[in-house]
Amino acid sequence: MAVRKKQRLADYGLNSERVLWRGKGPGVFEQELAPLEDRLMLSTVDKAVAWAQGSSIWPDTFGLACCAIEMMSIVSSRYDIARFGAEVFRSSPRQADLLIVSGRVAHKMAAPLRQIYDQMLEPKWVIAMGACASSGGMFNNYTILQGVDKIVDVDSHIPGCPPRPEALVEGIVRLQEKIKAGVPPAYEIRGVAS
Amino acid sequence: MAVTERPRIYEGSRIPSPIPSMLVLPEELRGSDEILQVNFGPNHPSTHGVLRLVVDLSGERVVGLRAVIGYLHTGFEKNMEQKTWWKAITYAPRVDYVSFQNNELVFVLAVEKLLGIEVPPKATWMRTLLAELNRIHSHLVFLGTAALELGAISMFWYCFRERDQILDLFEMVTGSRMHTRYYQVGGLAEDIPKGFDPEARKFCEWMPKAIDEYETILSRNEIWLERTQGIGLLSADDAIALGQSGPVVRASGIDWDLRRDEGYLSYPEVDFDVPVYPNGDVYDRYKVRIDEMRQSTRIVEQCLDAMPEGPWIADDRKVVLPPRHELHTSMESLIHHFKIVTEGFRVPEGEVYVTVESPRGELGCYLVSDGGPRPWRVKFRAPSFVALEATATCMSDALIADFIAIVGSLDTVMGEVDR
Amino acid sequence: MERREAYDETTLVVDPARLLEACRFLRDEEGFDLLSDITAVDYLGWGEKGVAGYFGTAAGRDLNAPGEQGASVHSQGFGRSPEPKPARFAINYHLLAVVPGAPRVRVQIWVEESRPVPSVIEIWPTADWHEREQFDLMGITFEGHPHLRRIIMEDDWEGHPLRKDYPLGGEPVRFSGDE
Repeated sequence: MAVRKKQRLADYGLNSERVLWRGKGPGVFEQELAPLEDRLMLSTVDKAVAWAQGSSIWPDTFGLACCAIEMMSIVSSRYDIARFGAEVFRSSPRQADLLIVSGRVAHKMAAPLRQIYDQMLEPKWVIAMGACASSGGMFNNYTILQGVDKIVDVDSHIPGCPPRPEALVEGIVRLQEKIKAGVPPAYEIRGVAS
Repeated sequence: MAVTERPRIYEGSRIPSPIPSMLVLPEELRGSDEILQVNFGPNHPSTHGVLRLVVDLSGERVVGLRAVIGYLHTGFEKNMEQKTWWKAITYAPRVDYVSFQNNELVFVLAVEKLLGIEVPPKATWMRTLLAELNRIHSHLVFLGTAALELGAISMFWYCFRERDQILDLFEMVTGSRMHTRYYQVGGLAEDIPKGFDPEARKFCEWMPKAIDEYETILSRNEIWLERTQGIGLLSADDAIALGQSGPVVRASGIDWDLRRDEGYLSYPEVDFDVPVYPNGDVYDRYKVRIDEMRQSTRIVEQCLDAMPEGPWIADDRKVVLPPRHELHTSMESLIHHFKIVTEGFRVPEGEVYVTVESPRGELGCYLVSDGGPRPWRVKFRAPSFVALEATATCMSDALIADFIAIVGSLDTVMGEVDR
Repeated sequence: MERREAYDETTLVVDPARLLEACRFLRDEEGFDLLSDITAVDYLGWGEKGVAGYFGTAAGRDLNAPGEQGASVHSQGFGRSPEPKPARFAINYHLLAVVPGAPRVRVQIWVEESRPVPSVIEIWPTADWHEREQFDLMGITFEGHPHLRRIIMEDDWEGHPLRKDYPLGGEPVRFSGDE
């Protein structure tokens, strides 16, 4: 996954870090790994990296509305998300891997949401938690963004209003399985807004 | 209470003028190099939701403050105008998503007031019980998140342990943890299941011990006292002028509680105390909420003891769905069912303003009906909206660390601020 | 000025020019020192569709004696339009006196569109955000408000969303069977 050079965000014309820092090419890790992976036929190291990434996804504190309260309860001791690797919720998007959009996104909030998403470092995943983030929910009106996948690439949608904590945990576990299977993050598959 | 009897926490009024809700940077500091404008953006580590505060700092001192809201504007009021009365109830709990039963309650009470329908006593007692459980739930969320922001991180886990027990009780009765949609116009949607009573009693036995645990951790903790006593002062006169209600006003020394003073549901028949503290600071607001949790547990026990037998919803077939077994035998029931489900029942023309005591203060619902199947205007008067106006007053002479404590103590939920 | 009682609530209808006088009187003499809420209602299109059918009153519907409440008066279940309102917008101020018994009163003024309303911010500072919100969502200008700007919608939003002639917006729902 680290050496797949074809689909960069820069190719989609996004203002991410890589575009702003034009001289940036593959990092040291990637440069060292490239010949090694060629020799090992890419599988084992890729799998190890995927296992490591999937088992320690740290979410970003992006709670918006009611779903945020259920998201807080997965941190609590009963539905403990730390046993699945999401040890801490990082407040800075630079330190987070996973953006759980929990709650309804108003058009006013769409710009900050995109900013946070852009500040996250790759690889990054997005879970649209709840009906409002997936599709606008019960609010089909002038002010709510009808589905957060209009502005960010979503890996996993979780239905519910609000989804039970167990549903959110299942969503995260399924995302982990996807990552460990080698499925690339959504921005590499889909491009910006599909 | 007459004006002269209110305690004086500080002399005069600290409400900034001319704009009461904004601290404007003084002339001499504008454009100066010493002022740093920090944006506590809509997404920030504290768990308040999407509140944006633009703060001007001179060193550590807050000299300018402006709140920007609207990041969670959902257009509830416009959406509810398009739905029938029955469907509009579903929108109501999502306004204040931490004390969801109270929102449903105020909307349903307003519709019932317009209709003039009488609710059976079992439904009234159950509504009281659920409203009090919701109060405990809301205060637990407040306590967990306020302590988390001030550094007492382990409180979060303690509070959410009890919170999960309450949500289990909600799930037992209504089928859903949050946003239960259990209230119908005329009563409750379903009967109370039989296993509820022993589980609720177990919870009531455990809860006072849990509150004692919280007090052990925080109430005499030197760091907590340093960070919360004497911070965020709000005098009684300023509180009333700023429209505050609920724990904020009770912590400023005013003995005011809508459950006791206005009386609705079964509150006149239960016995509870209203905690009032005189100092008007963050610590007192915390103490008020802790004591309210204890009183709410008392009320829940009394409701369990007094729960009558009988129907759980009113009998008026024009508004309430008939029981399913009647649909097989009675033609009229079938017609009523059909009309209520498709077209919706109609509510007579009029306007009402109903208030309840939500965990944040006075939650009001102003309802205008044109006699048709849909509301003409619904307005939720949100206590958090008004509490944010008071932020500038509480913040006179505050340091940046106090600012976090103050915003936490006002216990705002952005869903009801932006609606 | 007019006084109406309905559903145990008192509504005082006041002439907009004398609003400040009335509010000061209510606050100082009668003791209504807490302004609970300011709500504007848009009555555009009120009564255009006649109301007919069942009326959900507690006493049911007696064909021999029409009910006393609301639209069922004179109606006996037949179509009836509600009475037209004096102006397009009604602004309601809900006041509360913080004494046991919680007496409440509603002050109501009627204004046409684009006519400014005096601001009560001098009397109750809490009116600040309430008036800004009604300006933002309903387009009612309050004269004398020091900082009347949009509060809930974006600063450059056009239109006033809660008005009756503003569309609900949103997206048409697409069904998979149609495609």
